[in-house]
Amino acid sequence: MMSPGDKTYLSVNKRRKKTAAAQKKSSKPARRGWIGRLWKPVLLLAGVLMGLLIPWVVYLNYQVTTEFEGRKWDLPSHVYARALEIYPGVSLPVQDLEMELRASGYRAASPVTRPGQYRVSGSSVEIYRRSFRFHDGAEDASGFLVRISAGVVADVISVADKRQLDLVRLEPAEIASIYPLQKEDRSLVKITDAPQLLVTGLQAVEDRHFKQHPGVDLRGVLRAVVANLKAGKAVQGGSTLTQQLVKNYFLTQDRTVARKFNEAIMALLLEMHYDKSEILDAYINEVFLGQQGAYAVHGFGQASLFYFDQPLDRLEPNQIALLIGLVKGASYYNPRRHPERALARRNQVLSAFAETGLLSDAQARQQASTSLGVTQEPRSRGTRYHAFVDLVRRQLAQVYREEDLKTEGLRIYTTLAPSIQEKAQHAVTDGLKQLEKRGLPAGLQAAMVVADVATGEVRALVGDKDPNRAGFNRAIHARRQIGSVIKPLVYLLALEHGNEYSLVTRIEDEPITLRQANGSDWSPDNYDGKSHGEVTLLQALTRSYNQATVRLGLEIGVANLVNRIQQLGVSAEVDAVPSVFLGAVELTPLEVTQIYQSLAAGGYSVPLRSVIAVLTADGNELVRYPLRMVPQPHRDAIGVLNYALTQVVEQGTAKALPGLLGSNTTIAGKTGTTNDRRDSWFVGYTRDHVAVSWVGKDDNSPAGVTGSNAAMHLWADLFRQLPFSAVDLRMPDGAFWLWVDGESGFLTGQACERAVQVPFLDGSAPTRSTACLGAQQENEESFWRKLFGKKKN
Amino acid sequence: MVRRKISLGELLALAVSFSLFLGACASTAPGPPAPAENEVSSRVREPAKQDSEGVQVFPLQNAAVKELMADAGTAESMGDYGQAATLLERALRIQPRDPEILQSLAEVQLQVKDYGQALSFATRSYDLGPRVGEICSRNWHTISVSREHLGDHSGSDEAAEKARKCMNTKPRSL
Repeated sequence: MMSPGDKTYLSVNKRRKKTAAAQKKSSKPARRGWIGRLWKPVLLLAGVLMGLLIPWVVYLNYQVTTEFEGRKWDLPSHVYARALEIYPGVSLPVQDLEMELRASGYRAASPVTRPGQYRVSGSSVEIYRRSFRFHDGAEDASGFLVRISAGVVADVISVADKRQLDLVRLEPAEIASIYPLQKEDRSLVKITDAPQLLVTGLQAVEDRHFKQHPGVDLRGVLRAVVANLKAGKAVQGGSTLTQQLVKNYFLTQDRTVARKFNEAIMALLLEMHYDKSEILDAYINEVFLGQQGAYAVHGFGQASLFYFDQPLDRLEPNQIALLIGLVKGASYYNPRRHPERALARRNQVLSAFAETGLLSDAQARQQASTSLGVTQEPRSRGTRYHAFVDLVRRQLAQVYREEDLKTEGLRIYTTLAPSIQEKAQHAVTDGLKQLEKRGLPAGLQAAMVVADVATGEVRALVGDKDPNRAGFNRAIHARRQIGSVIKPLVYLLALEHGNEYSLVTRIEDEPITLRQANGSDWSPDNYDGKSHGEVTLLQALTRSYNQATVRLGLEIGVANLVNRIQQLGVSAEVDAVPSVFLGAVELTPLEVTQIYQSLAAGGYSVPLRSVIAVLTADGNELVRYPLRMVPQPHRDAIGVLNYALTQVVEQGTAKALPGLLGSNTTIAGKTGTTNDRRDSWFVGYTRDHVAVSWVGKDDNSPAGVTGSNAAMHLWADLFRQLPFSAVDLRMPDGAFWLWVDGESGFLTGQACERAVQVPFLDGSAPTRSTACLGAQQENEESFWRKLFGKKKN
Repeated sequence: MVRRKISLGELLALAVSFSLFLGACASTAPGPPAPAENEVSSRVREPAKQDSEGVQVFPLQNAAVKELMADAGTAESMGDYGQAATLLERALRIQPRDPEILQSLAEVQLQVKDYGQALSFATRSYDLGPRVGEICSRNWHTISVSREHLGDHSGSDEAAEKARKCMNTKPRSL
């Protein structure tokens, strides 16, 4: 099989022979007379021209074949949010559903007649969903009614047949497009998938002899010349579709003779090498059809989305006619800016359809009577959630080059929940303003990460107090000391040794001085400047006592702590020095989220994910990121620790949280403050979500912030707007609940004074009991004696 | 007397209903006959059914999850394990703590011979599940098979023993 390149080479050789022959002829002696005298310069001129022309044609041929052969449009990659699943029982207030619909580009309409519209009436929302290709299959366009009662979906009913639906998915919001440098936007359409009317109509209007001509249509040119002469101005162009393609593809828009010449030659060459359908296929994807801001809209596929917000195969004849009409001048006939011109042009095209028999006269008239049907505004484009898209790029950077993202037209399905993202952004932006009003210094920055506990899917990410600013992304890149946020790991390591420690084990909260590697002494203070004597592990953790924590840490060993941090999915280097016990370790909010995801999920670490799957432009799965879990050791101890972290909220440093939330639902959390109040951290988790917030100054100067006075407020601002459920405190195998005396930590009876329930690991239960428990057991025994007349065994 | 709170998981355990089937009925239990080489059928589901001697577990699932699990079951029976896993993950997003979904994911991982993940999902299913009955038995059989493939033979035997105890050990949380 000969490649086009070989062909080029052969034709070049042939022509070179001819040239050589011509040169031989010209070297013959000249005849006499004026003809004879002229002959020489004419031949010379012809020789020179041929000598120039042939390499030129060869050059053009090379350009046409290599460019066209390797034609691959740079397609922007599209990034999608997660698809919203709607089913009876899901918590989904009407305003959240509306937020999701708007994020997906739906418009309110009454009545709802087209895909992409919705209507809210009271607590019912009617949605006409667009068809959409998900990473795991396609969904058709369909209408359904979602009835919501008290913020929970009561039922979903199909509009078509009134059937109750168990589950529907909304098409995901497009949150970003990663563009090639040329700033061209395309949505590729194969010629075989394009509507027939588009393919035939295009020829009817632009190039009726497309099937017959060799690239240049002399009859067309003559007809155009005649028409133009008659009209006294240029009313008709004689360019074939092939010439137009060449012009779009290879040449500038100058109207010079040289350009026309090149265009004709290249059109002929193109037709020599490729068949008509390939040329048409390129044409329908290349032609310029509009402009959206800095981005040029190329091809009918993208134009259909741009003007009608519909895929090409769903267009009505009048809409196809409008797009074909735009070929003549997309800005002159811009239907949004010049609707009258556009309407006239469209109807002209419809007449051409009728004239060539593509539509009957009646059809054409009916179609011409419709309105333009373009959407008011094109769907917003560009990146809406910069911070999250950073994370997407970071995850994909492990597999793809940035270049591929910009040119391969990938479809990237992510985990972002637009409604949660919007709420997180508000929580950060408004929350910081509130903090400043309450007297905290100006110029604070913040970050927030929200992830799904069970799946590790990142639902929202905020990296700046101005979420629209694309720049330094604190959620991903700001490495800050984490302070007391580390402490739960110190206690976890202790609890793992069930024979030595339980939550009621007593430790000393007394001053301690350590000699550091540089020879200086280190004497950590407590936040309140006091030492608290003998306290239980539970008290020390919930009240975040530094001295007790360092003492406990020294018993478990700093190397073990560093190991555990890494085991929990953090790759950052951590120095094994005692100050690590108090959080002298710099981590990003994202890394902190990873650590706490493991705890929140009961010891099942799931690598945080922002991308679920990537598809190629033609819908083939390129890569999928399935859910993977890494069970941590000692999940029984993690179960016990989770309880302790709920006590931080119930009675410890985060006890203001329920008030801020207006809810007493069981939540686990931990505050964190660093030296000189530079950083404020709060990590909290409900049954379903784990979220981390950070507040501080970019220059790491003292900011007057503590975990509970700043970051916790932002966290509460978010969760006040989210539905949430209580942390599950069911203990895994190996741990169980006991009633103990809140003061002494002795076993006690439920009815006894100060009785509290605390989880213990097997083998760590208190050995001593309160007098009250003894009396209670005595009573029970006497009950059995009375009943059976003998002692219970 | 020492007593404990009743948590959600314990309620789930309460939702386990025991119904003894006659021997004849047991043989008509649903499920397509599977080829002998299918480890999930021969070493997880069948033994679990036998261990449980007709004891049925009815987890509290919503219709959306049921639909997705049914589709996942179809995909699995056609050998399309990737699609089965995708559908199960979708179900898990709806009910992230559902032991049935997690166990089904574990079984799909066994099918594709990802024993590490099969082990993880089955363990998580056990932690969140009723820790009794047929699903408990499927959990431990999966753990046993996975450990065997991972070369942990004593761990495998131990898990097989735990599978048998799923029926005659009163769950700690009840």
